[in-house]
Amino acid sequence: MSLGTQHDGQGGGVRAEVGGVVAAAGRIRSAIETVIEGKPDVLRITLTVLLAEGHLLIEDVPGVGKTMLAKALGRAVDCSVQRVQFTPDLLPSDITGVSVYHQDRHEFEFNPGPVFANIVLGDEINRASPKTQSALLECMEERQVSVDGQTRALERPFMVVATQNPGEMEGTYALPEAQRDRFMARVSVGYPAPQDELDMIDSHSADSPLDALAPVADAAQLRELADRVRQVHVAPGMRRYVVDLVNATRTAPELHLGASPRATLHLVRAARAHAALDGRHYVVPDDVQALAVPVLAHRLLPGAEARMERLSPEQIVSRIVARLPVPGPQ
Amino acid sequence: MRALMPLVTLLCLVTALPLLAPLLSGDGWWVPALVLMAAASAVSALYRLSGWNAAPVPLLQALLVFLLLTPLFAAHTAPLGVIPNGESVGYLVQLFTQGTATINDSSVPVSANAGITLIIALTFVVFVMVADFLAVTARCAGMVGGLLLTLMAVPLVVDPAGLELWQALWCAAGYVALLAADTWTRRRAWGTPVPSPAPGDRVLAGVRRAGTAALAGAAAVLMAVTLPLAVPSLRTDAFYDLADGSHPGFGEDMVTTTHPLVSMRRELGSDSDSTVLTYRTDAEEPDYLRTYVLDRFDGENWTMDPVDATDDNTAGGDLPLPTGWSSEASGPTTTTQVSMSSSTPRPDFLPLPYWARSVDVSGQWHVDPDTHTVFTTGNPPTGLSFTVESNADDPTAEELADAGRPRSLASGHLDVPEDVDPQVQELTDRVTEDAGSPYEAAVALQDHFDDFTYSLQPPAVPEGNDPLAHFLFEDRIGYCEQFAGAMALMARQADIPARVAVGYTQGERTNGDRWVVSSADAHAWPELYFEGAGWVRFEPTPSGGSGQGSASVPEHADPSGEGGQDEGSPSPSPSPSPSESPSPTDGPGAEETQGPDEESAAPDPEEDPGSEAAGGGSGSEGGPALSWLPYVGGFLVALALLALPALARSWVRAARRSALAGAPASAAHAAWREVRDTHVDLGLAWDLSESPRATAGRTQLPEEARWALWRLALAEEAARYAPDPVAGGQLREDLRTVRSALCASVGRGARMRAVLLPRSLAPWHRPRPEPLPAT
Repeated sequence: MSLGTQHDGQGGGVRAEVGGVVAAAGRIRSAIETVIEGKPDVLRITLTVLLAEGHLLIEDVPGVGKTMLAKALGRAVDCSVQRVQFTPDLLPSDITGVSVYHQDRHEFEFNPGPVFANIVLGDEINRASPKTQSALLECMEERQVSVDGQTRALERPFMVVATQNPGEMEGTYALPEAQRDRFMARVSVGYPAPQDELDMIDSHSADSPLDALAPVADAAQLRELADRVRQVHVAPGMRRYVVDLVNATRTAPELHLGASPRATLHLVRAARAHAALDGRHYVVPDDVQALAVPVLAHRLLPGAEARMERLSPEQIVSRIVARLPVPGPQ
Repeated sequence: MRALMPLVTLLCLVTALPLLAPLLSGDGWWVPALVLMAAASAVSALYRLSGWNAAPVPLLQALLVFLLLTPLFAAHTAPLGVIPNGESVGYLVQLFTQGTATINDSSVPVSANAGITLIIALTFVVFVMVADFLAVTARCAGMVGGLLLTLMAVPLVVDPAGLELWQALWCAAGYVALLAADTWTRRRAWGTPVPSPAPGDRVLAGVRRAGTAALAGAAAVLMAVTLPLAVPSLRTDAFYDLADGSHPGFGEDMVTTTHPLVSMRRELGSDSDSTVLTYRTDAEEPDYLRTYVLDRFDGENWTMDPVDATDDNTAGGDLPLPTGWSSEASGPTTTTQVSMSSSTPRPDFLPLPYWARSVDVSGQWHVDPDTHTVFTTGNPPTGLSFTVESNADDPTAEELADAGRPRSLASGHLDVPEDVDPQVQELTDRVTEDAGSPYEAAVALQDHFDDFTYSLQPPAVPEGNDPLAHFLFEDRIGYCEQFAGAMALMARQADIPARVAVGYTQGERTNGDRWVVSSADAHAWPELYFEGAGWVRFEPTPSGGSGQGSASVPEHADPSGEGGQDEGSPSPSPSPSPSESPSPTDGPGAEETQGPDEESAAPDPEEDPGSEAAGGGSGSEGGPALSWLPYVGGFLVALALLALPALARSWVRAARRSALAGAPASAAHAAWREVRDTHVDLGLAWDLSESPRATAGRTQLPEEARWALWRLALAEEAARYAPDPVAGGQLREDLRTVRSALCASVGRGARMRAVLLPRSLAPWHRPRPEPLPAT
């Protein structure tokens, strides 16, 4: 059953613009799908975060294609892409850039770091020291870099796609919850289905499909898409629904730490993008429900009881979503 | 927290217990009720802590209540005092029957015996169980209000004093506490509700809420004012209008008494013929017992002059001489020992034979010298006993005939309001034109009522008619109140001072010197004043089977000696009650009581050949011909009751169908609500946390209906969440398709139930949010 809207013909501007989003996002999606196969849900979240101008945290065991996904996204969009491989000895200046004394001109010259790009791939972000992690995370939130007393704005779109191994892997510094909160969403790639893995052997054995990936959009287009996404209507009832949902995580006894107000904003923005990806110019509860786990779960800390019952935050959020009544007629 | 609601529900119903306090005498009647209620609520509270399905709660409650009944009420019949067996159950049933009998037989305050206590305890525990179901299981705390209203209605119906303000307020406080707890638990489960974004909206919401409250209050006041106008039986105020001036005593010792005629009417009209008092007397033919005297006529009703309770007129020892007696009477006396029944309401006036020389009664009593009534401003016990010594001298007809014009009497007993129908004066003149003396006039007036008809249910007086003139000239049907009032008034018109006395006839002799006075003996009669003889009783009311059973014409009022109605003999042969078939001598009364039966027999076989086929007996009896009517009527009523939910549901559906033609948003909402209610009716799952499209995606229907459901869902979705909902083109057709497909998807039984008992009408079946996980 198609999720596409059935209401056409009226409404004018916003509706037409949303149509543009669907087309552009469809192109990006099919481009990435040539590299990452059989993961439509992950791709959808990735595109949602891209359009909502958030940052994405990809968390999974090694070798399932986290970096491949991030790289494919960078390739599909014709914009500046930088990649940082986080290691324990990486310094903050390796990310933000450093001022170097220029002998000829007798002045300091700023060498911008990899963060000055439209899409920044932070690979294995939990291998770096907390100090370095926080340097990146500051840029994520402020969308600017302060070096030597000078503040330099980062160009839109700016998206950090960070990958990390699950916390219990060796030699990692887990991201503190305050920093995880800066990511709009967290996805797990997961193992491919057997059939998809078979196809993967075929496609990846000869040469990397990443090389063949041609850009299908550019930075200017992305900015425009993001602007259109901001136009998506969120009914008062829907706003309330989001707040109720976030509030429920704060009062749920299984959770030690609930979601922050920033999570509320992220959820609304992501829901707008999700709706636009569907070609809708208004948000419906299904958008919020689909995004509740990716957007909220990584910010939550389960309480002792939930840990004993082996209840993951994902399960707790799903339960809350399954019980929260959707907003009815006004 | 889950235990909170059952406990608050208990609290709410406990506040209703004091409602019964004024209706009962005795202590401790509330203890078993409280124990059982607490037990039932505790079961509910403990069970709900487990979080299991609440369906077995009423069963568990009933079981525990059953187990507790034995130790509470039938401990001596059961092994170890607690184990129920056949004997204890039998005893409980017996207690229950005894309680019902007590309720039927006695008037308030009822003495709280074991039977009454059992009935109260059972009633309240059932109410707690129902309230628990409503407030906790069904989460409709508001509906508990209906139960409280039912309990409040009990004192309103039973007790003439009605409901006291503090009781009503107390009860209302319990109800508000329940509602508050309900809201609180809901909020707690869902976190603090999000306030409206703009302060302006918040103000608006507050205004709207206050407006709703004001509207509800205004509607309630409006109904309270207008409903009694439309339904006369609710006009309790009318009773108290009659009681104007019936406030004996002044100052701090003010006592309000129900109007004597009203209480008399109530006693006469009560179905159960309960004993009011018993007495022993040494008189062969005891006199009437006189309680109140109404000496003022306002054109419509006879009322009491206020009586004075001061230290000067306490009724200790010898009573003052009644008006009209100048010196100490030295004649023989009669001693009467009266025991009021414990079920009789507390007396504020004593029923005494006229005239009492002394009264031996405990407590502070006063005597009104004018009317010679004995009353108290205190609170005498029920079941009061007292001894009265009264004058045994009865004036003879000759003495009365010789009495001259009244001289020694305060004015006022000849007052006739100006607005009395002039026809009455003409009638009086006509009746008394041959009378040579006041006494002859009085007897003529008394005889004038001979051919009137006695009935406790006189036909209603048409609007705008003077009841007195209607009684005298139109239907000539009434009971003692009309007879006494009319004769007293006409006597005044004939210049004989007159007033109305209210009390009891002498009752029935049981054995020897013992007499029993029951509520059917309540009576009113005129007292006329004759110089030298004082106030003298007359009896215009017919007596015997077709009249006031035990009424009798006193000898002094019966110069012919024939005995107008009852051979003048006050010793009542076991008097047939008015409803029994009258003796052949009772001419006019026979028509009255026989009337309806004859009417029902009217369609006789010749007229109605169909009734012959109905049965052989119908020809002679007439009655059974239509005996099937009540059954058919009952059947039709039952059918109508059965069809009521279906009718209500189709009315809702029709309202929604008409909304389909309205604005796009409301049309989509109406269609979607109908889809929801159809789901609920058919017992299909409906989840409030599902968005319309999720519901559409989940529901398994044939292809065409699936698309129709999707269209409805998307229209509803747009109506709810889109800034500019668009009109759905074919909502009506889609709704029909979806409904029939949904109906086809369930079995025949579920379809039948959906039609006859649509669950969507029941609030507890309506889908509602579940509490958040594990709160």
